[in-house]
Amino acid sequence: MAPSPAQPRGYSDNQPFPAGYSSTILKLFVESLARGNDVQALDAGPVCQENINFFAQRMRRHYACDMFIRLQRLPGEQPRPGNLVRHLDYPARSFDGIELWDLIDHLDDDQARQLMARCSEMLKTTGVLMLIALEKKPEPARINTFVVGRDYRVGFRLQPHLELAWHCRHNRALMSLLAEFEIVRSFRYVNGLREFLLKKPTLTRARIGDW
Amino acid sequence: MLGKSKKPESDKPYTVPQKEEAKPAPPPPPRSAPTASEVKTTIGENISIEGQIKGEEHLVIEGALKGNVELEKHNFTVGLKGRVDGEIRAQNISISGQLMGTIKALGKVEVTKDADFLGDIKAKSISVEDGAYFKGSIELDREPHRKSGFAAAPHRPSSPDAAMAQPSPATDTRKES
Repeated sequence: MAPSPAQPRGYSDNQPFPAGYSSTILKLFVESLARGNDVQALDAGPVCQENINFFAQRMRRHYACDMFIRLQRLPGEQPRPGNLVRHLDYPARSFDGIELWDLIDHLDDDQARQLMARCSEMLKTTGVLMLIALEKKPEPARINTFVVGRDYRVGFRLQPHLELAWHCRHNRALMSLLAEFEIVRSFRYVNGLREFLLKKPTLTRARIGDW
Repeated sequence: MLGKSKKPESDKPYTVPQKEEAKPAPPPPPRSAPTASEVKTTIGENISIEGQIKGEEHLVIEGALKGNVELEKHNFTVGLKGRVDGEIRAQNISISGQLMGTIKALGKVEVTKDADFLGDIKAKSISVEDGAYFKGSIELDREPHRKSGFAAAPHRPSSPDAAMAQPSPATDTRKES
């Protein structure tokens, strides 16, 4: 992925996030959902008023499960494998779309793999997954919500109640976690923010035979 | 006692102040009896209820409730310490405590940052504060012509070039495969 030189005016590379940007992946994600009927999508958090309204006004039913706050509470729980993804107990092939903002940046490799596998199960065959990941830990390392505004412009709002670990990854490490998916489109920003639109791999004849 | 200053006693004989003649207290301003829409019932935090509630006044739950609630045109509130498990139908619904179940509001649903919600929401509008422990589905009432399928953007339509016209960081892209 070639980084884009374009940034909003006044942006400096030292800032952990751009002040706001137009998300082409979000636009593609919404356009992809718009092709279906009675679509259902899942937002894995953080829970955000603007995003809930944005999606709920556009589809029959929108689901939100704030995995960030569940991750925050996880340390107090009895640790066991699958602790986190057990919250995503939706039936298989439930969703036409899943929004994973930058959740993966706060999961270790095991948790991230479990999450991606669960997302693959929950997505319909024609479903799409939107994922955002940072290449490096921002300074200061504070957690922000990606707030959807008009015309697919995304802003940021600090979430002071969230203090989570950071597991930012370079491309190679990130790609290995996304192996269950095919990348439809991806964009990389100067500050290392990466956006992905993913889909489940198309079944080849040989693989259909395996089913 | 040290640190305490005492007024010097004067030689003047102390006289008990004359008691003012008691005046009759002014009558309280006339207050009309609260109407049904103003009356509010609160279930205290040490009370547990199991069963169906149907009523015509606002209801606040600070205790525990297991059962369905039907309040025609009135508001339902789950207070900070409230715990509710059931199906709620009301005009407006506010959640600051725990609620597990289905919500159907003719008006607005408000989920505060202290709320712990698990369930399904159907309402005209919804507000969710950052920090709410939230897991649920949201269905907003829409005009009939937007009922089926993926609705068009409710705000001003976004032109296909709108995003590109912004100083987008996505001008230089490469397709991953």
